[in-house]
Amino acid sequence: MSFRIRMILPLIATFVAAVGYPLFYSFYLSLTSYKITQRWDSHFVGLNQYRDVFANSDYWSAMKVTGLFVVIGVFLELSLGLAIALSLQRQKRFRDFTRSFLLSPMFITPIAVGLMFRFLLNQQLGAIPTILDKVGFSYDFFGSGNALFTMIMIDTWQWTPFMVLLILAGLESLSKQPFEAARVDGAKPFYTFRRITIPMLAPILTVAILIRSLDALKVFEYVYATTRGGPGIETQTIQYFTYQTGIQYYRLGNASAMAYLLLIIVMIIVVVLFKQIEKTRRL
Amino acid sequence: MRKRESSWGILSKLIITFSFIIVAAPLLWVLLASFKTGSDLNDPTLVTFTPTSENWKKVFSSGIFQSAGRSAFVGVITVAISIVLGSMGAYSISRYKTGKSLTRFGILAAQVLPPAVLVFPFLDLAYRLRLSDTLVAVIAAHLSFVLPVVTWFLIGFFDAAPKEVEEQALVDGLDRFAAFRKVVLPQVAPGMGAAAIFGFVLSWNDLFYALILAPGNAATLPVRIAGFNTFRGVELGAMCAAILVSVVPVLIASFFIQRRLVRGISGGAVKF
Amino acid sequence: MRKTGIRRSLLAAGVVLIMGIITACGGSSSSSSGSGKISADTAGTLRVLMEGVPDTDIVKGLLADFNKDFPKIDVQIEPIAYDQIRDKLVASFQASKPTYDIAIIDNPWVGDFARAGFLKPLDDLVNSTEGYDYEDFSAPLRSIGEVDGKIYGIPFYNYGLGLIYRTDLFTEARLSEPASLDDLEAAAKKLNSGLRSGIAMQPQRGYKAFEEWGNYLFAAGGSVYGSDGKVNLSTPEAKKALETYIAMFKSSAPKNSLNWAFDEALRAVSSDKAAMMVSYNWMLPTLNKVGGSAGALAGKFKLATMPGGKQVLGSWDWAIPANSKVSDAAWAFISWLTSKAGETARVSAGGAPVRTSVFSDSAVSNTGGGADYYATVAKILGNSEPMCLGSNCDEMINAVGTELNAAIAGKKSVDAALRDATTKANKIQSK
Repeated sequence: MSFRIRMILPLIATFVAAVGYPLFYSFYLSLTSYKITQRWDSHFVGLNQYRDVFANSDYWSAMKVTGLFVVIGVFLELSLGLAIALSLQRQKRFRDFTRSFLLSPMFITPIAVGLMFRFLLNQQLGAIPTILDKVGFSYDFFGSGNALFTMIMIDTWQWTPFMVLLILAGLESLSKQPFEAARVDGAKPFYTFRRITIPMLAPILTVAILIRSLDALKVFEYVYATTRGGPGIETQTIQYFTYQTGIQYYRLGNASAMAYLLLIIVMIIVVVLFKQIEKTRRL
Repeated sequence: MRKRESSWGILSKLIITFSFIIVAAPLLWVLLASFKTGSDLNDPTLVTFTPTSENWKKVFSSGIFQSAGRSAFVGVITVAISIVLGSMGAYSISRYKTGKSLTRFGILAAQVLPPAVLVFPFLDLAYRLRLSDTLVAVIAAHLSFVLPVVTWFLIGFFDAAPKEVEEQALVDGLDRFAAFRKVVLPQVAPGMGAAAIFGFVLSWNDLFYALILAPGNAATLPVRIAGFNTFRGVELGAMCAAILVSVVPVLIASFFIQRRLVRGISGGAVKF
Repeated sequence: MRKTGIRRSLLAAGVVLIMGIITACGGSSSSSSGSGKISADTAGTLRVLMEGVPDTDIVKGLLADFNKDFPKIDVQIEPIAYDQIRDKLVASFQASKPTYDIAIIDNPWVGDFARAGFLKPLDDLVNSTEGYDYEDFSAPLRSIGEVDGKIYGIPFYNYGLGLIYRTDLFTEARLSEPASLDDLEAAAKKLNSGLRSGIAMQPQRGYKAFEEWGNYLFAAGGSVYGSDGKVNLSTPEAKKALETYIAMFKSSAPKNSLNWAFDEALRAVSSDKAAMMVSYNWMLPTLNKVGGSAGALAGKFKLATMPGGKQVLGSWDWAIPANSKVSDAAWAFISWLTSKAGETARVSAGGAPVRTSVFSDSAVSNTGGGADYYATVAKILGNSEPMCLGSNCDEMINAVGTELNAAIAGKKSVDAALRDATTKANKIQSK
């Protein structure tokens, strides 16, 4: 056995056990009528579950909600992360303290963050609406049309630090030389930012966006802690919907089909984006 | 020139101050809430009040430290396995293009599937292997999302590490594994640290798997915190105290490691 | 040589240990699942999964007394978070060796668990236990534990709803307990002021919206199921109930409270920001407790039935998993705790009642909420109904609650929401 295989084998073995097994198991379930409370009645149904999911309008609306959540959320986190990281890089005093403190939200378990904001944003009991009220401003954080945006804000609060961490690391690894050259040439700061900083940060930004997007795709705790998917189904995300179907309503076969359909869609998006990135990189 | 410099400086100070307030305000509220009585909690703007230690007493007697210990144990074991296996595998993928993009897609796929679907196979497996009600099942489940992320980070670090040193080591007569262990690994050590911390955070925060797989009398920290959300209402004060117990150690640790963390990630130049 | 000796003695000890376990198990299962009194010799270890709430602490407090009667039964209570209970139970039900020997189950789960074969029918045990008097449990509570004509759940504690209001504000506004839904709406409007809302409501999507609105439905004279046993919410009563609910939400509920659930409403009432709420009957003693969460308002709250007298009922039930290896010991514990004497002890300690005879027990009415309170609770338990009966209740409740929430949020018309709720609920329950 060659060295390269010997090196990767333990990883593959663990991967097969920890990821492959549940992956295949749930794929198998997606082809059956499995229901936790009617196990004796479980039989092979081919692609029927997929057909069901396709015809389920709630599934597609959950997809849309999740898509909006991921795109807007990650965009906000990226923009804020860039601004904060660039500012932190200039900072001279209290560096360690500021940095570690600004990173802290990502160390709180998301369910606690959700419950925290449920009460902080509560009209009568929360500090934020009370303060808004004093300046004569009324806003229903969990009302129709606003609730999804509130979820996005909560996600942004917790996960912008992750972006800051990665971008800061990227910034500090950049070679100083192009910036010196630009300064000598008298380039305006915004020009430097757009033409030098961003292109040089591109690889790390790609990783950051991808990791964050995949993680945001799994948003569950905030919904569970605050709106339970309401008003109506405005904040019903794909994770919450799958959880309800598979665990709460016991229909694991159906939920597995939902998950696999999601996997296929996400993979197509990722592959297309990858190809695009490869292309631009080669140019 | 000079003037423009300073206006950027002011802007960046404003940004830092503003984000500091945004992060600090909710945490300050949590701190205050952890010292408030049930009725004081209902007044959001109340800043001066007679502090109570009830919430903290409740939290301390709820076995929170054992839970923190368990969470730390699960996190450390998960991360240790991920780092050892991940660094070996990532090295192979990076240096020898083992599996090319297929491996990377396999790693990605694991990140997309909802835990709600994956948790059941884990539960079933745990029963078959008679591991239910042990932390082994939780560690296995955590490996499913920590291992891919850690491996992925590490591939980037190995890509960035210069090859000359290890080639020299091979010429000097070290076998390839020894060269990997003694020459390559030290080069990516900061990056490994960064990957380890990120993996630890993922494991430390996980509620979903721990909720269903961990035995109730051996709850992890997030499960314990979620436990203050009861059928008879949320025990807000106690939950806030518990949140602080979960955040403070990580915060102190991050104060000491964030510099290394940033340097670690930048040293590896994470990329595809 | 010495090594072998040690090994051999270890082996011997192991065999003895295993034999001991076998005899212990044998002892428990052979001891009479027959007639009359349960033998005080019944032995076994009972692992019970319970939520970390006051009711669990009360049960824990009674364990010492239980062990006086049954010294050989070791009850181990595992306190756990609400979110975990159902998933852990389902996992344990499916295992060949269960993790839990007794289960407490929430009422929407009973039908599914019973029909899945997860639970033991308890009829024989109930009938053979001397002096148990099963009929004494309030009739609506009994119906929750019975599926397809068999008993699967024994009531543990009720969470029937009722109207909780501030007596001082009612007196000030010269209001009396509302006798109709219109009275309730008028009262809420009258009590609504800049200082506090008339009524704190819980329109959160799913369970909460349905749980609260169900009371309005009953108050309007409606019902969830029609005479054919199918869900029918496309009725004039349901329409009246939802229209009134929405009107009250708009005129008298705290502003921006569309996602409110139990916690928010309770906190609003206990902090003088709302005058009424529809909530669990046992919230009353908690609110009136001196030094409790309501602070200076303690003592100013009163419980009433919903206008019209009928309300939504919920309950936690005791059940024995079908795979339990120690069902005799399990029944010994359940029947001891839910016997008349056990009920008196539990309710005296602050537990929510489930037996009707307990209300005439002077030891009970002198404690906790007082005679007035227990009289109302008796009325509530006498005339109430769960939101859902039969299969797939969790899903059915969520579907209806989603439609209601959409109507309250103004995203759907009342008629369309009720029509869709009916269609979805019937489809779900027939699956």
